[in-house]
Amino acid sequence: MKLRAVREGLLLVALACLPAIGEGIYFRDKISWQSSIPASELITADQARSWGDGAIWVDARPDEEFARDHVPGAFSLNEDHWNELLPQFLPNWSPEKKVVVYCSAESCNAARDVAKRLRDEAQLKNVFVLQGGWEEWVKKNR
Amino acid sequence: MKLFWRIVDLIVGGIFVYAGAIKALDPVQFANDIDNYKTMPWFISVRLAFYLPWLEIFCGLALIFRFLYRGGLSILTALIAVFIGATIAAKIRGLDITCGCFGHASQHWSFPQHLAVDLVILTGLLVLSFKVASGNRPQNAV
Repeated sequence: MKLRAVREGLLLVALACLPAIGEGIYFRDKISWQSSIPASELITADQARSWGDGAIWVDARPDEEFARDHVPGAFSLNEDHWNELLPQFLPNWSPEKKVVVYCSAESCNAARDVAKRLRDEAQLKNVFVLQGGWEEWVKKNR
Repeated sequence: MKLFWRIVDLIVGGIFVYAGAIKALDPVQFANDIDNYKTMPWFISVRLAFYLPWLEIFCGLALIFRFLYRGGLSILTALIAVFIGATIAAKIRGLDITCGCFGHASQHWSFPQHLAVDLVILTGLLVLSFKVASGNRPQNAV
């Protein structure tokens, strides 16, 4: 009976591959396969710095981490206090400026999520995520 | 009594077909949901996001149509057990995440709600497995 369950299970595992591969082919250009953030939305610390005053920095980390230290001139905008912080940030934005969002490190998702909400909900363009996050910025600037 | 077990099959199978279909429609979102657990690198999360929904759908259909029944039952039991483990581990690690198990419908569920639903489904699967193991059913399963 166990052998039968294994045999049937393997067959189902194999069957499920077929539509999955088909869907993967359909989405091949619509998703980033190597990073959760598409390469076109990522920016290095050096590139962001070269923008100078043309960039607005957004800190997506929790309030206490922002209070401890942050990129000079950065605005705090995290998802915990999104509704309160977004109205404080928006008046400082202008269409010609590029928005650089960062969180703690390469592995955090907060910057990606905040950047997505800025694009989708606030309809902002030119929103980028800092590669390596705050950790990388500190390495390059301190 | 036969009708009762048939209904349990339909409900449990239907839940997985529904959950799988929702995720198959938006694999990008599901990839982000898997990534939020921070248990594996993105390139694995994104591939799983294309595969797991179809596995759920096929296994759910196996329960509904009693075709490859034992295999479907075994896989779904393993999947839900792994998922419960991952959810509890995420909670212990302090990750505030959406499970993504039922797409946007489950986005605002609390941790106890997630756990309760998962445990009910796991119980249903275990009861069906027990019935199969004890030889009571399904008589006409392939």
